Amino acid sequence: MLSSEKQDLSEGEGQLDLVFRALGDPTRRALLARLAERPAMVTELAQPFAISLPAVSRHIRVLERAGLVARTVDGRVHHCSLSATPLKDVEKWLHQYRRFWEGTLESLARYVEDDSEK
Amino acid sequence: MVTLVVRRTIRAKAERLFAAWTVPAQLKRWWGPQGVKCIDAEVDLRLGGHYRIANQLPDEKIVWVTGEFEVIEAPRKLVYTWRIEPETESSERVTVQFEESGNDTEVIVTHERIASEELRKMHEQGWFGCLEGLAKFVEGE
Repeated sequence: MLSSEKQDLSEGEGQLDLVFRALGDPTRRALLARLAERPAMVTELAQPFAISLPAVSRHIRVLERAGLVARTVDGRVHHCSLSATPLKDVEKWLHQYRRFWEGTLESLARYVEDDSEK
Repeated sequence: MVTLVVRRTIRAKAERLFAAWTVPAQLKRWWGPQGVKCIDAEVDLRLGGHYRIANQLPDEKIVWVTGEFEVIEAPRKLVYTWRIEPETESSERVTVQFEESGNDTEVIVTHERIASEELRKMHEQGWFGCLEGLAKFVEGE
């Protein structure tokens, strides 16, 4: 969260932006929630949605580019599965803040507790 | 908004901790996680008053954190805005509470509005509710 840590992440930040943008759509989030249950074919995924198959396909491509969905093509059948790695990257990004504060409170504890023993 | 809560119980009275957190001479002696040194601190402890803390990172680079005080309830509570200089667009907000119990105090840090325009947009679009549903899957990998 301080800028040197942000620099460490700069290589991954382009990818992180893709993830945020991919997740910034309710249809795509619903697709991911469905894939979190189990993998599915694109045609299966399209069923519950009141939008066309090409539209669903476009959403899946955005999710693929963000690394959130892996697609395997078997003849004419496209199988999709959820890939959790980018979500772990988001968690890691947020985790910096927790580490910063835990470290800071550790320093505070050492400062006041050691001080009182003098 | 993403809000983070971090707690730690410290063997000290609330007044002692409140002073450590708000007196520049003391801040310089402990502020920051391991590897980060506070080399300068300015604190104008009043509502709307500014603070600035200089963090020296392991690579010797200096990052200033700044903000204004929104709530001051000595020795139990402090609320202030938080941003990295040069100014980022939006401020985050930190609440520090000192809950005393005998000779111990639980220090509770609540860090709100965590960073970036992307996260703010994601919140507006209800992103974080979705993440909970996916958490189980992520933990399983």
